[in-house]
Amino acid sequence: MSTLVVTFTKNQIAAYAEASGDHNPIHLDDDFARTVGLPGVIAHGLLQMGLMATVAAEAASGAHRLRRLTCRFAGMVVPGDTVTFTAEPSGAGKLELRAVNQRGEPVLTKSSAEVIG
Amino acid sequence: MSFQIEPDRAAAFAKAIGADPAAGVPPTFAAVYSLGATAPQLFGDPDAAVDFARLLHAEQEFTWARHPRPGETVTSQGQVASDVTRRGMRFVSFETQTTDRAGQPVCRSKALFVIRS
Repeated sequence: MSTLVVTFTKNQIAAYAEASGDHNPIHLDDDFARTVGLPGVIAHGLLQMGLMATVAAEAASGAHRLRRLTCRFAGMVVPGDTVTFTAEPSGAGKLELRAVNQRGEPVLTKSSAEVIG
Repeated sequence: MSFQIEPDRAAAFAKAIGADPAAGVPPTFAAVYSLGATAPQLFGDPDAAVDFARLLHAEQEFTWARHPRPGETVTSQGQVASDVTRRGMRFVSFETQTTDRAGQPVCRSKALFVIRS
């Protein structure tokens, strides 16, 4: 099983916004995020998925071997949250993926990967 | 939509998701070259009337025929696969096909967005 433990920071979220081009202010501006009913800035779902893919790539012995990646963004991740990402083989060419926060709540569900044999 | 995968940007993206920048284009850089290249056509379309602030990315799937190389130019085409409203929530399924210069498939992206009313 491959594991990555990440404590999210505003800097990391901003770095992902810059690299991905997703500058939605809900990820960058606390005041704006509050105006739309959020507790403050939240991490991009695709940042969580990217970190999940990094773990899946390790479990697959190489990112180039990933053929499919699926995630449901089930829970918000805010700066200060610590998320444990795990990838575990679950049959031929398949990985079961999990991402759970410091309270034991899943933040990614229905998540899996397929790899070439 | 044509998109050139700039090596520096792919490397910055890799760093943002805890991956090795020397290991090639990270799989979920598809969030940029596939989904990101076509989603503006959805969000920028006045007919689609998507309110950015109420938009949640609910699910994402990427399927790769192969992973693109740094510097490669790929072409993506996106379309709304379904758009339904249930109990005041609007569910928009947006699919993108990405191909290489020879017209061969590279990646397929399926995104589910939920728009709160």
